[in-house]
Order: sequence, then structure tokens, then C-alpha cells
Amino acid sequence: MSERIEFLCSGFGGQGVIRTGQIAGQAAVEAGLHTSMLISHGTETRGGYVRSQVIISDDPIASPVVEHPNYFLALSQAAWDRFGGLCQPFSCVLHNPEKVAIPENADVQKFAIQAEQEAARRFGDPLFANTLWVGIFSALLGPLITEAHFEKVIRMRTTRNIEENVAAFYHGRALFESRWRSYKP
Amino acid sequence: MKRIFETGNAAICEGAILAGCRLFAGYPITPATEIAENMSRRLPEEDGFYLQAEDEIAALHICNGASLGGLKAMTATSGPGYILFADAFGWALSSEIPVVIVNSQRVGPVSGITGAPGQGEFYLSRYLAHGGNYETIVLAPASVQEAFLLTVRAFYLAERFRTPVTILADQMVTDGWETLLLPETAEDIEEMDLIFYDRQVHPGPDFYPPTDDIDIPPVVLGHNTGGACSDWTPTLKGHDTEDIELHHQHAWRLIHKILNHRELIDDAEEWEVDDAEIILVAYGTPSRVVKSAVSEGRLQGLRIGGIRLISLWPFQDKLFQRKASYLVVELNWDGQLVREVERAARANSVHFWGRCGELPTVKELLLTTQQILEGKTISREAWKTVRWSHV
Amino acid sequence: MSELTTKYLRAEKARGTSCRGCGLRPAHHKVLEAIDRSGLTLADIVWGTGIGCSGRQTYATWKGDTFAGTHGRVYAMATGLRLALPPEKKIILTVGDGDAYTIGLQHLLNCARRNVGVTVVVLDNLGYQSTGGQYSITTPEGSVTDSSPRGTWEQNWAGQGLDVLNIVKEAGATFIARHTVLEGDAPVSSIAQALQNPGFSLVQIVYPCVSHFGVQTLGTRSVPEVYKWFESYPLSTGILWNSIGSRPEFSEAFRQQNNNIKNRKQDV
Repeated sequence: MSERIEFLCSGFGGQGVIRTGQIAGQAAVEAGLHTSMLISHGTETRGGYVRSQVIISDDPIASPVVEHPNYFLALSQAAWDRFGGLCQPFSCVLHNPEKVAIPENADVQKFAIQAEQEAARRFGDPLFANTLWVGIFSALLGPLITEAHFEKVIRMRTTRNIEENVAAFYHGRALFESRWRSYKP
Repeated sequence: MKRIFETGNAAICEGAILAGCRLFAGYPITPATEIAENMSRRLPEEDGFYLQAEDEIAALHICNGASLGGLKAMTATSGPGYILFADAFGWALSSEIPVVIVNSQRVGPVSGITGAPGQGEFYLSRYLAHGGNYETIVLAPASVQEAFLLTVRAFYLAERFRTPVTILADQMVTDGWETLLLPETAEDIEEMDLIFYDRQVHPGPDFYPPTDDIDIPPVVLGHNTGGACSDWTPTLKGHDTEDIELHHQHAWRLIHKILNHRELIDDAEEWEVDDAEIILVAYGTPSRVVKSAVSEGRLQGLRIGGIRLISLWPFQDKLFQRKASYLVVELNWDGQLVREVERAARANSVHFWGRCGELPTVKELLLTTQQILEGKTISREAWKTVRWSHV
Repeated sequence: MSELTTKYLRAEKARGTSCRGCGLRPAHHKVLEAIDRSGLTLADIVWGTGIGCSGRQTYATWKGDTFAGTHGRVYAMATGLRLALPPEKKIILTVGDGDAYTIGLQHLLNCARRNVGVTVVVLDNLGYQSTGGQYSITTPEGSVTDSSPRGTWEQNWAGQGLDVLNIVKEAGATFIARHTVLEGDAPVSSIAQALQNPGFSLVQIVYPCVSHFGVQTLGTRSVPEVYKWFESYPLSTGILWNSIGSRPEFSEAFRQQNNNIKNRKQDV
């Protein structure tokens, strides 16, 4: 791999934006890759969105800025409205269509799941939605970072409900398999 | 080698502890709070001391006092706290006592914006003490790994030069997460080129001689050497004096111990500068976008180069003697580094790209580069960059 | 030169900088007497000073280890220094009324709160005298000074109404005394007691400035006349607070705390 992978995650404060970025970044480190993550808070948290910008590469990372995300997990409408413009035709946008509306004509690859409802139904709490998204993201990434790396990191970075989080992660992967098995990046 | 995913804040703490720092005094402030938090957890494990000071004035003075007693000490802050260091910084500088200061720059002026990056203290880090008549050492990390490495180096330089050393970081370096390698064995330390300098004790009772020598140990009290030091102009014995001749000697030592040994301090990275028509200049996190812009620009056939300053002060004029245009990229709107580059680059044309709170993108930097190469005035929406737009 | 001077002071600095007839030099020597009476040697003490008349008079007079801090910050410096020094070393700070009670009050109070093992000797000359005579927090009410040409009118903390030493006491000091320079042995005895306190002590020694306070406020530079006024100046003196041993000294408590953390870690 000589190209870099850009992952953008944005949403409200408290939705796990930073934690999701940390899991992605740390899983990359576990896989022996270089990674950087910029987090923003302050005005941004007060302004309706928090953002983590994760870069993954097998070379040392120069610019840590996500300019054209390969993967964009948009957890709020504000997140899409603010950063949707960065997306290119190759960008995979992960969103819950009930909460984040992406225009029909947006030239991106949409991966829509009612993650909160799914998490609430399966695991009793919509808070597990972002671990479910991590599962989908990991499946999209392919073999670059293994599911074992992700699982290890989820266990490391989770203090409560570890087993449920791990289950939500694998459920995300299973959802991807059942819906987008044929997807080729 | 331990390989982890960590923040610049944690990297700075690990670097400090490895370099022998055993006292941290600070006052929580975004975005440097996690340095204090990490130190409060780590220092007791190393028989060290973590103090929450009543304010930043006290924080650096506590560090100075500890260093005066022989402990290696560090404090960390951001802009609003940094300005309060002025008093104690001057004391350490003039008394020639080692201490390490971290400033994670955020958006100013004053309280500004807490959790976004800025680069507004380039000159303040040079002129934090009033009164002039000194040189000072300022280092600028651009990554989590470098935050670790430069913290180790800051302690090393502080000891050898008997002086405060400032690490001028930014919010993205300190809050950002990245792959971090930490040495676990002596071989690891060697592989990372880490060097350390133990605290030595000045034999006293005389003060430092009027030379530009480094490696003269700082005054350490409590060893009954009859050591004396103060922020007043010292006599050869370290007593206070109003004698202007003695002041000349003191000022000469403060300036030339640093300038005459600057090969130990000077540090920079250059990319593709040899045939460059235009050279982008930056320090800290923006310099990483510059690096990407240089690679990308070269692919597009532009004769573009880049300079990343790793040590900021004393300023490295020698880097700006090439016949080329310079575009200085900073996280502020007023232009600070650019003034120094323009002075150093003399006849060459110097331009400024500034913003704060958000990094530039490669796309933006290449667009500006094109404009300059085509002889156009740099213009951005709603901004007339009068001062720095000339070609 | 007196025996104490030879024993403790650097010959070239021993004379000091105080004006003719000033109480600063006798006050300084009361500290030396207390050191001598306590059987302490040059190696036992690190001596720090602030700025102003007291700082200029006392800095680098001590033959042993000595330093001067920035104005009002020497209490914070001493907090760090205390942690670096072995517990048996004593720290003496000679400072002025401005240094301790106004510009440095925040740091003085936090030093007292932590019960840092230092002896602060406040050499109070009733105003800002090294800058030519302006009023301070301890200047008597109504005094004409260079910065109060119609007499001071703001509330002071001089002890006739509001007393700054009450604040220092509430902050946690474990030994507090106030004396005038005229009290003979009493200040010496208090400083000697303070030096036995492992924690934070403050001893204030009041003397009138002749050159500025005398001329501007009292209208005389005559030393006997200034002291005649001073004899009747109302001040509550003596040991005002003694709770030595009631709280642990800061650096010792800190080391204990660190040990507890390490032991707990080992247990786990």
C-alpha cells in the first residue's frame, strides 16, 4: 500500500466520535501501520459537531488532515452538512438515514443502516451503535487490519459492557456481509 | 521498543520522565491539561513530585525553586498561562537555571478559542522575558513521536546551557493521537539517538565566569558551596550590582553561550529545496501539510520545496539564503514567522499564508503556490493580505 | 565587625545597603542572633530574599547558600526548593511588607496552606521605601507619602482593624509572631522558635523607615524623633499563633504520600 487511507468521523459530543477514532487508529497501530488522529474540541463541540480525522498508512504520515475521506462516518446531520463537501466519488459514507439525510444526487457511496435502532433492538441500548459502525468500517477496510486487531483494541478501550461491545462489532461485520458482500472498493 | 497509540501530551510526559524530570508544577489549561494529568499519575511512581500550583506564575517559580535545589523540573501550559510565565522565565534565564517549559499553542489573542490550534506565540517565546539582552532556545515538535524526542532534547539542552528551554507545540501535536515508539532497553535508547545530561553542581562560591562556555554546572543550593544567584545583574561572585561593565559581561554570556554553540541547537528538515523556485516554510503541525504539498506539487511538475523548522530560536537565517520565493505557512492571521523569514531572506520575495484554528489543506497551499509562481497577488475571500502579498 | 557578622556574613556584603539610622540592619542581625542561638551553621541554612530594601540589605550577605527571587514569588520558589532539599536543611526567607502582603500574598498564603517548611521573616518598614516612599498595606492610616499626598485613606491591613496576619493564620501557618525592632530579645526568641518549626512560620519585624516615612509622613529625618513616634505606634506584638506540630510539613507529607502510592501499587 503506497496510498493513504483517510477516515473522518464526526457527530455530536457524547456520540463516541473520539473513541471511534481511537479504536480505528489503535487497531492500525496493532496491525503495524502508521496512524495519526487529530481531534477537535472546544468550539467544535459547542457548535454541534466533534471531529476525529484518522490517517492510516504504511509510510510515515505527513499531512494529518483529512482532505478527501475514503470513509466518512457521519453521526449527525451537522457533520454531513459541514464535511460532506470533502467527499469524492470514492468516498464511503456511513450513516443512519433516519438521522442523517444525504441528498439523492450526492456522488458518494452510501452505506445506510439504522444503527441506533439496530443496536437498541439487539443489545438494548442505542449507544452500541458506534461499535456497530466500527464493525462495518472494519469490513469495508478489508484485510488490512484484521478483526482480531479490532477486537483486541475494543477490549482495551472499553471499560464497561465489553462483551456487548465486542458482539456489536461482530454484528456490524455480519450486517456488512449480509448487505454489501459484493462491494468492491 | 514499545509501540503504542498515544497523544503528544503523553509523549511529552514520557520524554520528561525518561530525561530525569522529577517535578512538575502546573495549572490546568486546555489543551495542555492532559500533561498535568499524566504527570500526576506518573511522577509518584518515579518518586517525583506533581504540584497543582495556585497559578502559572507560581507553577514556573516552583519549578525554578526545585531546579535550584537540584531537581529537573517542567511545566506546561497554553497561551493565557504562558504569558504568566514571563516573570519566572526571566528569573531562570538570568540566573541561568535549567527548566523545561511546554506551550501548546491555541487560538488567541488572550483566551481566544481553547480547543483549536494556533501559532501566536512565535515571537513571545523569543521575548517572554522583559529587558532584552539574551538569547533563548525554542524547539517545535510536529508529531507525537517528535514531542517525545524533543522533550528529551529540551532537558539535555537546558542542562548543558544552564537555561530554560521552551517546547513550542500546538494543540494538534499535544491533543493529537499517533503511533509512538518508546524505548525499553539501552539498545532502543541508542537506536533513537537519545542523549541525556545529569544535573551537575556548580562548585561555588563564585558565579559563572564571564565566558561563552557551556557545560558549566548551574548553581545548586543545599550543598553548602556558598552558591549565590539572583535575577539581579551579578558580580563575578553572583552578588547584585548596578555596575554596567559587569552587566555587559552578564549579557554577553547570556547571548553568546547560546549563539556560539548553536550547532547543538539548530535543527530543521528540508524537502526538495535545491532546484526549488518556491520554498514553503512552516513549523509544528502545519509543516506536515507543507510536506505533503511538496510531494504533491512535485508530482504536478512544480519546482516546489519545503523547510520545516525544528528549532525556532535562535533563528536559523542560513536556511533562507537560497535564491527562491518563500511562502510561509502559519496558524495565525497576523504573520509572525514570516517577518523573521523576510528579514533572513533579504532580497528574495516572501509571502504569507495564514489562518488559525484549522490546518491548511494541500489543495489550498498548491493553489497559493500557483498564484505566486504566476505572479498573481495572493488573495483570499474577505481578506486583503496587503502586508505580505507582494511578489 | 561583630562576631556574628564574621561568622555568618560575607565580608564584602556585610555592611548592607540600609540608610543611616534604619532599623533594617538591626532586624537583619536579630535573624543572625536567632540562628546562632539555635546552634545552626552555614551548612544548615539556605537563605532566600525578595526585592526592595529587605532584599537589597540581605541578599548574598549570608556566607552559605543564598538566592534572590522575583518580587513576591519567593514563596513559590521555596515550595519547589523545599522538595529538592533534604528535610534537615532550613530555609529562611527575608522579605518586605510589599513582597509578602501584596504582590506575593497569593503565594505566601499557598505556602502557608501547604505548611511548607520555611521561616518567612517580614522586614516591615511601613511602606514602599526602596522606590522612594509610597504607601503599602502596612502604612499607618492617614499617612502622607509620595503616593498619598493628602494622606492614605484606603483600609490597610496594619493590625489596627484588619490584620493581614489573621489571613496568614487562616491560610494554615503553624507559627506566627510580630515584633518591633525595639523589642530587644523577643524577636530573636520568636525567630529561634520559628526555626524549630518543621512547617511554615512567619515572623514580622516592624521598624520605621527614616529616610522616606520619617521625612514624608512624620516631617523629620531625626532618628530619635522617628523612634519616639514609633514607640507609641499601636501594634499587637508577641507570638500570635503557635500550632507547631499540628499538621505535617509539606515535603515530608508529600514523600509519605508518594510512598503510600508505591506501596499500594506493590500490593496490587
